[in-house]
Amino acid sequence: MASMKELVEFIAKSLVDDPSQVYVSEIEGENSVILELRVGPEDMGRVIGKGGRTINAIRKLVRVIAAKQGKRVTLEVV
Amino acid sequence: MSEQTIEATGADVEAAIAAGLDRLQVDRDAVEIEVLDHGKRGVLGLGARDARVRLTLKPQAMEPEEEEEPPAAEVEQAEVEVAEEEQEQPPEQPQQPPAPAPAPAEEEAEVARGVLLELLSLLGLSEARVKVTLPEPGANQKESPLMLEISGPGADELIGRRGDTLAALQHITRLIVGREVDGWVHLVVDADGFKARRAQSLRKMALRLAEQAVRTGRTVVMEPMPPNERRVIHVTLRDNPDVTTESIGEGEHRKVTIIPR
Repeated sequence: MASMKELVEFIAKSLVDDPSQVYVSEIEGENSVILELRVGPEDMGRVIGKGGRTINAIRKLVRVIAAKQGKRVTLEVV
Repeated sequence: MSEQTIEATGADVEAAIAAGLDRLQVDRDAVEIEVLDHGKRGVLGLGARDARVRLTLKPQAMEPEEEEEPPAAEVEQAEVEVAEEEQEQPPEQPQQPPAPAPAPAEEEAEVARGVLLELLSLLGLSEARVKVTLPEPGANQKESPLMLEISGPGADELIGRRGDTLAALQHITRLIVGREVDGWVHLVVDADGFKARRAQSLRKMALRLAEQAVRTGRTVVMEPMPPNERRVIHVTLRDNPDVTTESIGEGEHRKVTIIPR
């Protein structure tokens, strides 16, 4: 089964300057999943994007997987 | 002529370019852009640093030749909207040692295909296929982008409401490819022929609404649309002698109006 965590990790690591500082944690509830993305402070802008465009795009993609699992997903950069 | 090269600053690279173009009073096509500093966004304005760019007028831009019609302006706009901060330089970049040589189209296409396949696999769609169509050599990038068409099982799941999931996939693919080849690649991601079908229905809608505008003598305001879709409307009605088109509003709410002449 596709993993939301792996998807977010791959995208974030591909976009940042320092992939070693990328961490994704996954908190699973019954009907929901919370994903927390951590990146180095210098790389925040890269994963968020102008006006949040990039992080919103990542949220959309994560939802493709969540929908199949019948779950709601929240992705935050922390 | 000392004005041939200027430096400009802005909150990000795009803003800096816009400021520079404003100062020079020329279009983006008329200059070579060199990013001196990407700047930093900072957090809540702390530690932020302005982006700096250097703009050099291309030789042909010295002669004034202006062809300013709304569609052309819109195309420019569309390009800027999709460009984001990743864009570094226009594709052709003669004799500029520090700039990396642009990767050949085939190489870019291979990278793009690989990135998209990886994303699809992570999305649980490892059986999906990607057909790549290279841009026509020498053609305008806007007219002939690198096309990546997804088909096969699950491709329809990638479209989303009004194509928003597809837009997200395209945005992420562009960013990752842009980083891998160290430059901006104009690529379009389609799934299950969605964009082709959408363009077809937009063209029909444009023609119908243009007719309505002429018949009623009133301006028709369309639904908000993304830049690529607005462009289809402008291009469709570009040669229509009875109407002009114009985009109004900002960002997500930007929409095309069809105005009877």
